[in-house]
Amino acid sequence: MALYFGDLLPFSSLLLEGLWTALYITLVAMVAGSALGVFLYLGKVGPGKAVSIFCTCYIEAIRNTPLLVQLYLIYFALPALGINLEPIWAAVIGLTLNNAAYTAEIYRAGFESVPHGLREAGKALGMKNAQIVRYIVLLPATRNVFPALTNQLILLFLASSIGSIISLPELTNAIMSVSNTTYRTIEVLAVGGLLYLGVSALLSLASKRAETTLFRWAVGARV
Amino acid sequence: MTVIFVENLNKKFGPNHVLKGVDCHIREREVVCVIGPSGSGKSTFLRCMNGLESITSGSIVINKHRLDDSKTNINLVRQEAGMVFQHFNLFPHLKVIDNVMLAPLKVAKANKDEARAKAEMLLAKVGLAEKMEAFPGSLSGGQMQRVAIARALAMDPKIMLFDEPTSALDPEIVGEVLTVMKDLANEGMTMVVVTHEMGFAREVADRVLFMDQGLIVEEGSPDEIFSSPRNARTQGFLSKVL
Amino acid sequence: MFRAFDWQDLIPLAKGAWLTIQLCAMSGILGVIFGLILGIARTSPSRIARWISTIYISCVRGIPILVIIFFIFFGIPLLFPGLELDKFTSAVIALTCFAAAYVAEIVRGSIEAVSRGQSEAADALGLNYWAKLRYVVMPQARKIMVPPGVGFIIGLVKDSSLVTVTGLVELTHAGNIVTNLTGDPIMTFLTVAAMYFVICYSISLLGRLYEKRTGIQVDPLKLPEPASV
Ligand SMILES: Nc1ncnc2c1ncn2[C@@H]1O[C@H](COP(=O)(O)OP(=O)(O)OP(=O)(O)O)[C@@H](O)[C@H]1O
Ligand SMILES: [Mg+2]
Repeated sequence: MALYFGDLLPFSSLLLEGLWTALYITLVAMVAGSALGVFLYLGKVGPGKAVSIFCTCYIEAIRNTPLLVQLYLIYFALPALGINLEPIWAAVIGLTLNNAAYTAEIYRAGFESVPHGLREAGKALGMKNAQIVRYIVLLPATRNVFPALTNQLILLFLASSIGSIISLPELTNAIMSVSNTTYRTIEVLAVGGLLYLGVSALLSLASKRAETTLFRWAVGARV
Repeated sequence: MTVIFVENLNKKFGPNHVLKGVDCHIREREVVCVIGPSGSGKSTFLRCMNGLESITSGSIVINKHRLDDSKTNINLVRQEAGMVFQHFNLFPHLKVIDNVMLAPLKVAKANKDEARAKAEMLLAKVGLAEKMEAFPGSLSGGQMQRVAIARALAMDPKIMLFDEPTSALDPEIVGEVLTVMKDLANEGMTMVVVTHEMGFAREVADRVLFMDQGLIVEEGSPDEIFSSPRNARTQGFLSKVL
Repeated sequence: MFRAFDWQDLIPLAKGAWLTIQLCAMSGILGVIFGLILGIARTSPSRIARWISTIYISCVRGIPILVIIFFIFFGIPLLFPGLELDKFTSAVIALTCFAAAYVAEIVRGSIEAVSRGQSEAADALGLNYWAKLRYVVMPQARKIMVPPGVGFIIGLVKDSSLVTVTGLVELTHAGNIVTNLTGDPIMTFLTVAAMYFVICYSISLLGRLYEKRTGIQVDPLKLPEPASV
């Protein structure tokens, strides 16, 4: 069969709008989710036993079930309880709640992998625990966490395609509707795939850049 | 004047009885080297002296602060007893000068210019004036350890505790760290040094403690310990390392 | 008219769960085979092999699995007219494409982790590339591959839920069907979630058991990320 991309031209704005929606929900879910993740992490490692158990259960529940099922619960189940959600908000909430559990685990691993000796050195200088966290542990931990967080951002962007299943007009949804109107399935999947690929590559490139400029001190250091 | 009293110090890690009644008094301006086989409890002993390990029983008094008293402000004690670690533990995200200034600024609440002047002075003293603006990651091991010494000195400690400060260093740069420590000893700093550098102990120490299996088995002047050890275990240990 | 969700509804869900397990087992095994080949190619001395596998891995990791599923499901019949694939086969192909790229990353990470110190020692002994891989690198890399491999299998189970869009009645799709019968999405999808949880959590418990038995702990930050969210 012959490939022909010309038929797609009239739909380019539809695809770009889809891409924009995908980026939008990704960013909102990333910001909200990684903030929520901070509280989950603090709750999990904090002194409150009940809170800690709750946070652990939440994190494990999210990490051991598919995002799609979580999304279905939000999109189909909440209306049954009388709460109606637009697809876009269902997607944002779903991705946020999901992302929070993953970022909480990233924070945990990031803080745990700061060498214990740094805390001890702070203690030996007479610093209080809060000061040790603020002035000694925080930055190395941030540096440890950064690549995993940016990777999470990319995963989230790819995961946003799941919104198409609840008929949110994001990129994957746009791809499928263009395919249904033009029957240029292969072509539009290729173009759409390239759009996803391009954005993920850009995000990954940008994060590498950001990493080397933000954490100059880490070059050659054993953090 | 005695500045460190350790009496009947016991430390257990769970069932593992690591220190089994250590007694030791250290006078002001005294340099004490602690030697002994691996696992004998040297590090634990040192770490108990500034509260990095809690005490199971017994008592430690550092500069009139009782460490076994829960009302003692441990952070105050730590300001008076500086510590240097085997693996330097420099803060990787802070420039050399900021490593040295951190505790004066945040703990002693010194003003910024004074803290900086002092940090510059200390770094010059350990021979690293030109590395002030470097990050620790770019330094050699010997340089890192000298920064760590300057960092500890910035709090004006009355006592310095060293835990194998040269064990992680290449042989050819051990000397530069030992020189700094010798200068410190000559200035009259009270020092407790856990070390495998017998040459340093012989030359600089006023007293050498030999630890084995959680006890100070023998102590005396370097000459007594190295030339005519009385205890069989000391003799055995020294015959292996000398 | 709807009827209440009751125990009978567990039967289609359990069947769906069984299909999910079969799907993951098939694509998991195939994914490991192709992933090993790709991962070894990724670290091989041949530049062409490295290029091909790098391009494949980056493409798959940069495109949503849903788009890959659509591509296999709708694209293959167009590209190869006359080739009739059933839903299960298409789903296995899609998940395998995806799994292979992630396995390849794990393989590459493990080979590189081992090679850093050991490879030179093996070179010094005069072993050639294949002998080195076979006798020095792989036996050690195999062990460090297991913990991230566990994460990969869990990711695969979760991602397999996406083939629901092809109409294959795996666990999530079974949930949709039961919801349409009962009109009770809450109970249905809570049950579906619980079933996924049991599958995934059992796998992660097995992984933890392995970590305990072998003492191999892996820093989660240093690993290729698991496939899915
Ligand atoms: N945090 C800890 N938890 C449990 N056991 C510990 C801990 N720290 C030390 N130990 C145990 O205490 C004993 C003494 O350790 P310590 O580090 O004091 O020995 P050391 O004399 O400094 O040896 P080395 O020369 O190897 O540094 C060892 O058996 C060690 O396993
Ligand atoms: Mg020690």
